[in-house]
Amino acid sequence: MLSKKSALMLLAPGVVFIVLGFCVPALMLLFAPPGVTAGDVIARLGRMLQDPYDLAIIWRTVGLGLLVTVLSVAFGFPIALLLARSTSRWAGLLLALAIFPLLLSNVVRTYGWLVLLGKNGVIGQIATALGLPAPQLLYTETAIVLGLLQLFLPLAIISCYSAVAQVDGGLEDAARGLGASRTRALWTVTLPLSLPGVVVAATLVFAGSTTAYTTPYLLGGSNQRMLATQLFNYSSVSIDWAGASAVAIIMTALVFLVSAASAALAGRKGSVA
Amino acid sequence: MSLDTRAPETTASRAPRSARPARRPAVERRPVLGAFAVLGYIVMIVPILFVVAAAFSGGDSLKFPPDSFSLKWFVAAAAYKPFMASLLQSTELAALATLLALVLGVPAALALERGRLRGKAWVQGLFLSPLIVPELVVGLALYQQLIAALGVSSFAALLVGHTALLIPYAVRVTGASLALADPFVEEAARGLGAGPLKVFTSVTLPLLRPGIVSASLLGFVTSFNNVPLSLLLQGRKFATLPVTMLDYVQQSYDPMIASMSTLILAATVLVAMLAERAVGFAKIFGGINR
Repeated sequence: MLSKKSALMLLAPGVVFIVLGFCVPALMLLFAPPGVTAGDVIARLGRMLQDPYDLAIIWRTVGLGLLVTVLSVAFGFPIALLLARSTSRWAGLLLALAIFPLLLSNVVRTYGWLVLLGKNGVIGQIATALGLPAPQLLYTETAIVLGLLQLFLPLAIISCYSAVAQVDGGLEDAARGLGASRTRALWTVTLPLSLPGVVVAATLVFAGSTTAYTTPYLLGGSNQRMLATQLFNYSSVSIDWAGASAVAIIMTALVFLVSAASAALAGRKGSVA
Repeated sequence: MSLDTRAPETTASRAPRSARPARRPAVERRPVLGAFAVLGYIVMIVPILFVVAAAFSGGDSLKFPPDSFSLKWFVAAAAYKPFMASLLQSTELAALATLLALVLGVPAALALERGRLRGKAWVQGLFLSPLIVPELVVGLALYQQLIAALGVSSFAALLVGHTALLIPYAVRVTGASLALADPFVEEAARGLGAGPLKVFTSVTLPLLRPGIVSASLLGFVTSFNNVPLSLLLQGRKFATLPVTMLDYVQQSYDPMIASMSTLILAATVLVAMLAERAVGFAKIFGGINR
């Protein structure tokens, strides 16, 4: 064990850096953007919450975020379960394949959808070959959802995998032996026991997809704005610090709210993720 | 952590099972789950395959199937100055930010795991706090307070932001490897007459090594790929590769981005293989996802 004094000395540089390089600037964003007062920011925030255009952006962000969260868990949980229970020699490779995208640049991953959904993209060409009109897929909410799902599915798989791997497979066998169908064993035994991991997965995906920039920028364009692209627009195009700060506050509040809710849920279940 | 506890077991646990009648693969036994899983993999992997296919196109615009096969867009990407300049700058930034995050984060992890401190949970929370605030918001805050208000250079602001982003990983990943080790090994070395420095270099540091390797790889990749933080902070003199690529997509519809992306993909596969050899691929993510 370290003495109190040496422990404090080891902590000090990191604490000073985080406080000055992160906490102070983040708090100043709220109270004192350059040339604007905290009052301006609050007033701007108030107007934003009443303006139909801004509200549409907020609801689009929340709505698409929820949809991506549900889809990520719906696709991620089965993958995690099958990988954790599989005895196949391919399971290790498939797990690596699910984790690998986390190391790969979001720009690279998202660009794939431009190749698939773009004007002369794969899907458009197939439609034309079949004599159908090429569907407008790029710059739609569908494109954003697909892009975000691709981005966050690996995260959902990892969180669910950690949880599912800890659930004793023997419990499922016991439920099956007592006459439960495979589906019933999944819904009444495996899923409830791995719920903490599912909650973590959902929280990470929601926080990530409501704040992601690359995906709505490349796949949503300017007619499908989300909070992240709107923040960039205020801070770099129209140089509206009060507006940018107000959007930043909404985004941060959204993430904090969901994290707090998930922490409360995990606490109530008696297990901390 | 279950990821890394499982990986080494697979071979051992397979042996007794093979005595039982051979199981069919999981996907066959659970058609509904299997169908979801296949769809999930398609969404994750297929777009990446099409990026690679588009990279070898001989045409001048992104079109599928490509008109002809050619390597010309690889040559174009390697000759395109903004890409190569930002590649170097991104590498430099990622290396420095990773180093700085380790220098600040490893001692903190040590103090948090081995120190007798009150309010440990609060300090831990402080070190993890940059993960909670959206990166775009951190970028905006640093832009306003460092670049606009104080006139700090773009590179310095990027370094501060990227380091703050990586510190949580450094603290968590090295802390996790330290938590697995028995603190009494250090006590024993002390009892046998080793001084504090000797204990650190010959006992603690080897215990920390897997954590440091994981945190370095993860930190470098995280910084190198970052967009939201770099987006507002980068300036005319200093640009990162991912943001430069995003700008290029907006200007031009040619397949040069696909070729650059394929090069990045190849490098990332290399990093993943390196990680597999050094610490075990899944282990890297085991530490951050508990």
